[in-house]
Amino acid sequence: MNDKNKNVVISVDNLFKSFGKHEVLKGVSCQINKGDKVAIVGPSGSGKSTLLRCMNLLETPTYGEVWFEEQLLTPVDPYLHFDIIRLSKTYKKLIEQIKAEDATISEEELDIKAITQIKKDDLLKKFEGAEYRKAIKTLYKEKNLDINLARQKVGMVFQHFNLFNNLTVLQNLTLAPVKLKIMSKEEANKNALSLLKRIGLEDKANAYPSTLSGGQKQRIAIVRALAMNPKVMLFDEPTSALDPEMVGEVLDLMRELANEGMTMVIVTHEMGFAKEVANRVVFIDDGVIKEEASPQEFFNNPKDERLKEFLSKVL
Amino acid sequence: MWQIFIDSFIGEKAYVNVLQGIAVTIVTAISALVIGIILGTIVALSRVFKSKNPVIKALQVIAKLYVGFFRGTPIVVQLLFIYFVIFPAIGLGLMNVMVVGIIIFGLNSGAYVSEIMRAGILSVDKGQNEAGRALGLTYTTTLFKVILPQAIKNVIPTIANEFVSLLKETSVLSFIGIMDLTKALREIGAENYEFTIPYLVLAIIYLVLVMIATSIVKLIETRLRRNER
Repeated sequence: MNDKNKNVVISVDNLFKSFGKHEVLKGVSCQINKGDKVAIVGPSGSGKSTLLRCMNLLETPTYGEVWFEEQLLTPVDPYLHFDIIRLSKTYKKLIEQIKAEDATISEEELDIKAITQIKKDDLLKKFEGAEYRKAIKTLYKEKNLDINLARQKVGMVFQHFNLFNNLTVLQNLTLAPVKLKIMSKEEANKNALSLLKRIGLEDKANAYPSTLSGGQKQRIAIVRALAMNPKVMLFDEPTSALDPEMVGEVLDLMRELANEGMTMVIVTHEMGFAKEVANRVVFIDDGVIKEEASPQEFFNNPKDERLKEFLSKVL
Repeated sequence: MWQIFIDSFIGEKAYVNVLQGIAVTIVTAISALVIGIILGTIVALSRVFKSKNPVIKALQVIAKLYVGFFRGTPIVVQLLFIYFVIFPAIGLGLMNVMVVGIIIFGLNSGAYVSEIMRAGILSVDKGQNEAGRALGLTYTTTLFKVILPQAIKNVIPTIANEFVSLLKETSVLSFIGIMDLTKALREIGAENYEFTIPYLVLAIIYLVLVMIATSIVKLIETRLRRNER
């Protein structure tokens, strides 16, 4: 994946996801570039939330790849992964063997030769199951750490806010930065207070989430994600659980973020908002992307039949 | 009848035993609850923890057996079996009987508390874990900083009720020779061959103790509910 553009923040490649026998995503590919505001719309049950949750691996895809910047987040089929093979003893033995036979061979050729031979003769799978499992484990462990690191840079806002009920508003904002040693306690507090000030809720710093309105909770959930200085924000139907009169305040904050240049992926039912803020709108139906276009194109000149039907219902 | 009771209660200083019995009952119940909460939380955590680590897996099996034994047998049987069979076998036969009582009740209560705790942990909304993980926190950090505190708050009323039943269950301590409340009053009866008044008083003392404990439970519950608003 060396040809990846430096501007790509999240890249999803041929993603499949099933829950038991129910296949939710059936081969979805899309790219989120730096500064993009992508709105994902579609009928309920179409897989749009699942796609979003796959982007930070809250759901593990059944098949396919999710990339964050230059890092692959999804577990790979270990047998296809050269790093796994390179970890194995058999690989090291083969290298020695080939070297002994041909002293002039270059490192690169050596590597290719060993890997091809292992794959061709199925050396790891059939004869050294234990070694193969161990290698997977090592790689998986490293990967697991990486996922947590990647998640620090991917902010997520949930439909039901999911503020930590046992912590005050301020603690909600400072828990992750302090625990992950990104900021000192003082820094985190200062940062959190300025974020709260920005949304006009600094007087709620010591309140518990249960005392707040839905709109306040969601705005705090948004700045909680911002407190980690994320490179991209994922919004999972951020206004769907709100009373109608509170939708505006949350959308205002999101609009502000968009204007500041934050990269955003928004699963939403707010077509007006998608039209206004997004630079790209994606229509998902039945687990596949049916249409992807600029908002003007998407709303004024839809091509897909299902999208036309969907828009006629929601607009 | 009352005269006989009062004679031995005050005249023969039987009240010393009764007061001591009340103390034994309360001390055992409280200590057992403390042990139970610590042990139960550890066991519950080990059972909800998702891990493929063989050591943790083995601990999970042991935890399951432990909970199975203490929930599956009567407390009297546990007292007798552990005090007269297990402890002598592992060289602890001479341990202070009061300590033994507290340990066994603690183990017993740990088994019940672990089930209460497990239900409490599972009752915390899944979104809380997802929010923690989405911020990049590990499962362990999320568990200890977010999920467990909420689980504990959810189960406090149930744990308080566990204390009430512990208070009553300690009445079997005399099976291993401890001078608890029940034994103190039974001895007054046995001395005079007159059981009506001693047992009536016994029942009343337990009732009062339980009523006090219950009202404390109620107080905690309303406090917690008020904090939620």
